[in-house]
Amino acid sequence: MPTRAPRRRRDLVPVAFVAPFLLLFLLTFALPIGYAVYQSVMDVEHTGALGLGGSHTVFVGLRNYSDALSDHAFVRSIGRVLLFAAVQVPVMVALSAGLALLLDSASARGVRFFRAAFFLPYGVPGVIASILWGFLYVPGVSPLVDGMRHLGLSVDLLGGNTVLWSIANIVTWEFAGYNVLVLVAQLRTIPAELYEAARIDGASAWMTVRHVKLPLLRPALILTTVFTIIGTLQLFAEPLVLKPVSSSIDSAYTPNLSAYNEAFTNDNYHLAAAEAVLLALAAFALSFGFLRLINKRGGDA
Amino acid sequence: MSRTTPRRRSRGALAVTLAAASLLISACGGSTGSKDPAVQAPVKPGQKVDLRFWSWVPGVDKAVDKWNATHPDIHVKLEKIPAGSSGGYAKMRAALKSGNAPDLAQVEYQEIPSFLLENGLVNLSRYGADKDRSKFVDWQWQQGVFDSAVYAIPQASGPMGLFYRSDLFKKWGITPPATWDEFAQAAQKIHSADPKAYISTFPAGNSAWFTALAWQAGAKWFGVNGDTWSVNIDSSQTLKVAAFWDKLRSKGVIKTEPDFANGWYKDLQTGAITSWVSAQWGDAIISGNAPQTAGKWAVAPMPQWTKGSNASANWGGSSTAVLKGAKHIPEALKFAEWLNTDPTSVDLLLQGGYGWPAAADAYKGSSLDKPSKFFGDQKYNEVFAQADKSIDNSWKWIPTIDATYQHLNDGFQAALAGKGTFVSAVQQAQKQTVEDLKRKGLKVSTGK
Repeated sequence: MPTRAPRRRRDLVPVAFVAPFLLLFLLTFALPIGYAVYQSVMDVEHTGALGLGGSHTVFVGLRNYSDALSDHAFVRSIGRVLLFAAVQVPVMVALSAGLALLLDSASARGVRFFRAAFFLPYGVPGVIASILWGFLYVPGVSPLVDGMRHLGLSVDLLGGNTVLWSIANIVTWEFAGYNVLVLVAQLRTIPAELYEAARIDGASAWMTVRHVKLPLLRPALILTTVFTIIGTLQLFAEPLVLKPVSSSIDSAYTPNLSAYNEAFTNDNYHLAAAEAVLLALAAFALSFGFLRLINKRGGDA
Repeated sequence: MSRTTPRRRSRGALAVTLAAASLLISACGGSTGSKDPAVQAPVKPGQKVDLRFWSWVPGVDKAVDKWNATHPDIHVKLEKIPAGSSGGYAKMRAALKSGNAPDLAQVEYQEIPSFLLENGLVNLSRYGADKDRSKFVDWQWQQGVFDSAVYAIPQASGPMGLFYRSDLFKKWGITPPATWDEFAQAAQKIHSADPKAYISTFPAGNSAWFTALAWQAGAKWFGVNGDTWSVNIDSSQTLKVAAFWDKLRSKGVIKTEPDFANGWYKDLQTGAITSWVSAQWGDAIISGNAPQTAGKWAVAPMPQWTKGSNASANWGGSSTAVLKGAKHIPEALKFAEWLNTDPTSVDLLLQGGYGWPAAADAYKGSSLDKPSKFFGDQKYNEVFAQADKSIDNSWKWIPTIDATYQHLNDGFQAALAGKGTFVSAVQQAQKQTVEDLKRKGLKVSTGK
């Protein structure tokens, strides 16, 4: 919007149109976030060994933040999701792009079927998916693990060094199809004339992908990458569900799990609020950092 | 993994939304004073009263039905909630904070101090609860007493023993271990007799179990003196227990899979796990999950640290508490007392498998006092009746016990992943627990 009309009374009309949205936005986004920030700088103090002397809420400044950041388990959980993201984001985006391009290729057969099949896991709630995969990971119950053992491969899919990638597998299975759909939709918007022109210029299939499809797919790729970054940092349901079957998932395995645990098990609502705010800040920094990086590299998203 | 369609977003942000919601709720609580409200008078005879009761205990529905049939004036509405650690307590705490708590709720012994700290329980001494004292096993009664006031009516406990596969033990020529030394030898024998078989698992994610073992070894983790808590998790007794399991683990003669999980149930069924040091209520877990092993199990007393002694411990145990905000406290107390002492009610709860009765002398002549087909016609509850009398009654809990359990869980799990040992996990949990209590603004001493 390069120019703006001079203000007049009639400009109140658009305000009335956006008011419902603004109201909902304030109520469901700004207010809870503001409240979480408020809670994160407060704490409860008790009187007497059992609190029978009563309790009251006091302002503690940034103490909850320093507590959260000096908690090794919480800091490690942030490191863990960052490591997870470093692997998961490229794998997810490359896999989704690969599948989308295959579906879009001229020789693809049964496109509708595969599109539905890829998307199907997305219809399964994350908790259910984690339970399903949980069964496939537990030795003695899983045909997968047993089958591999017969082949002489003994792998512990729930061990300390592997369980994070077992979770990555669930997450990929769940969400790759969704990303494929976004990418396929973008591919569909590419005008057929471009392909025709490329063909006339003698471009091979690979060259069409490299020089026509991928550049035009860029906005959708950026979108799915940002979604994946945010989703990765929020990792919660999968480790929560796998926790009872794996000795390697502790109560602060991911930042979200840690905040949940502080709030609902340890009654430290204020510390949980601080952790939630820190997580939000990290997600904000990463996704906007990524967008800036992309924009600097040239071209508009 | 994009969680951005409306539906997906709502799930992805579940934790945040929940947290925000409960934060809103907690704000309403604001500052709670120490002053108790005036004592409620009982309702007039003939006046009808409705009580809400939150519980997850199996069999409690039948007992409540019985109460409603025999007490037309006081109607109890039972609402089943998830077992405490699976979300029941989170629900109760949220309800307390929003001022919408039920009249009565299931609260495990170890959770009573936490609920007190959140100002969630009614002082029942003001309603004459002390007169019921003689109807209960004394130590269980004491679990609800703080500052000489009663805050919970005991319901059930979990005296411990050793469940073992008598058929396999016989086959391999192993007698049920009377001491922990013998337990270690048996572990070795079992694993060499069948490389797929183990004496038991060390459930790293279930430190309530480990706590009971430390309890048996004579540890006293917590105490309170005036307004100062003492924390002694890393006492020599606890470290002895941790080192014992460290050794079995390093020898590879025990499993380290989680208990109460699919793999573990499967192992119970197939004989890959041949014994289980557990509470009396473990009988229902085994018979319910490995029904085809009927007749092959037996029960022996818990292995001892000193030959010839007979120390036991408690694992689990639950009370019926009246929550702050209850509308009809005198009637709620009356129901809680009936539920946990009336012979008909106790028997209905026993049939449901609620654990070991807290009501004094409830064992003799009850449905527990019979030989069991599943346990090879053994009158196995005699073992637990004996164990119940051999529990160190002075054990106390702290208001941040959930966090302590988690520190232990996390430490034990790290040990399994090759970072540290069970012993170092215990030492770490001691430090963290002191921090937890300080965080709550409480005074702590380490008693050393």
